[in-house]
Amino acid sequence: MLGQIKLVLFFLFLSSIGGVIWYVQHLQAENEILTLNNEKLNGAVEQQQALIQQQLRDIESKTAINEQITKNNAKLTADLNLANEKFNKVNASGERRDVGNLALSKPKSIERIERKRERQRARCFEIAQGSALTEEELNATKKSQINAECTNIANPNYTPY
Amino acid sequence: MRVEILEVLQGHFGKDKDINVDSHMMDDLGGDEFDIVDVFVQIESKLGISIPEEETFDIMTVSALCEVVERHVGSD
Repeated sequence: MLGQIKLVLFFLFLSSIGGVIWYVQHLQAENEILTLNNEKLNGAVEQQQALIQQQLRDIESKTAINEQITKNNAKLTADLNLANEKFNKVNASGERRDVGNLALSKPKSIERIERKRERQRARCFEIAQGSALTEEELNATKKSQINAECTNIANPNYTPY
Repeated sequence: MRVEILEVLQGHFGKDKDINVDSHMMDDLGGDEFDIVDVFVQIESKLGISIPEEETFDIMTVSALCEVVERHVGSD
C-alpha cells in the first residue's frame, strides 16, 4: 500500500515537473515572439519617425518655395505696374496712353520703336556682362541720346530732367 | 493750324511747358518715342488728316512736326 502511494506521488511529482517544464518552455516561446514583435514595432516606430521628419522637411521646403513664389509674384506685379506706367502713361490732360491702340493706328512706327528698344536691351546685357561704354554712351546727356532700357548703367552722365 | 498743333502739344506735354518751334519733343518736352506717335495720332484726329507713317519717322522737333503736318493739311 505504501509502495503504491509512493508510486502515485512519484508520478504526481513527475507530472508536476513536466508541467513546469512545459510552462517554462511555453513562456520562453511566447517571450521570443513578443521580443520579435517588439523589435518589429521598434522598427516601425523608427520608420514612422523618419517619415515624420521627412514630411517636416518637405513642409519646410514647400513653405520656402511658397515664400519664393510670393516674392516672385510681388516682383512681377511691380514690374508689370512699372511697364504699364512706362508704356501706358498718363499725359498732361489726364488721358492714359494706350500703346496697344497706338500699335493699331501706327503699326510701323511702334514696330520701329520696339526694334530700337530691343537693340538697346541687347546693349544693356552687353554692358552688364562687362562691355566698355562707348563715347556716345558716355557723352549722352539728352533724353534722345540715352539708352532708355538701362540708362543708369549705359549713360552715367545723363541726369533726368 | 499751328494753333491746333500747339493745343495738342500742350494738352499732351502740359501747358506749363515752354513750347515753340525749336522745342525738341524728347529733350525739351520730356516725351518718349511713343509720345511722338501719340501726338501724331491726336493731330491727325484733330485736323482730320492722314499722314503716312514713313514721313513721321525720326521727327523730334516741333518745327519738323509742323512741316510734315502742313504738307498734308488741305491735300487730304
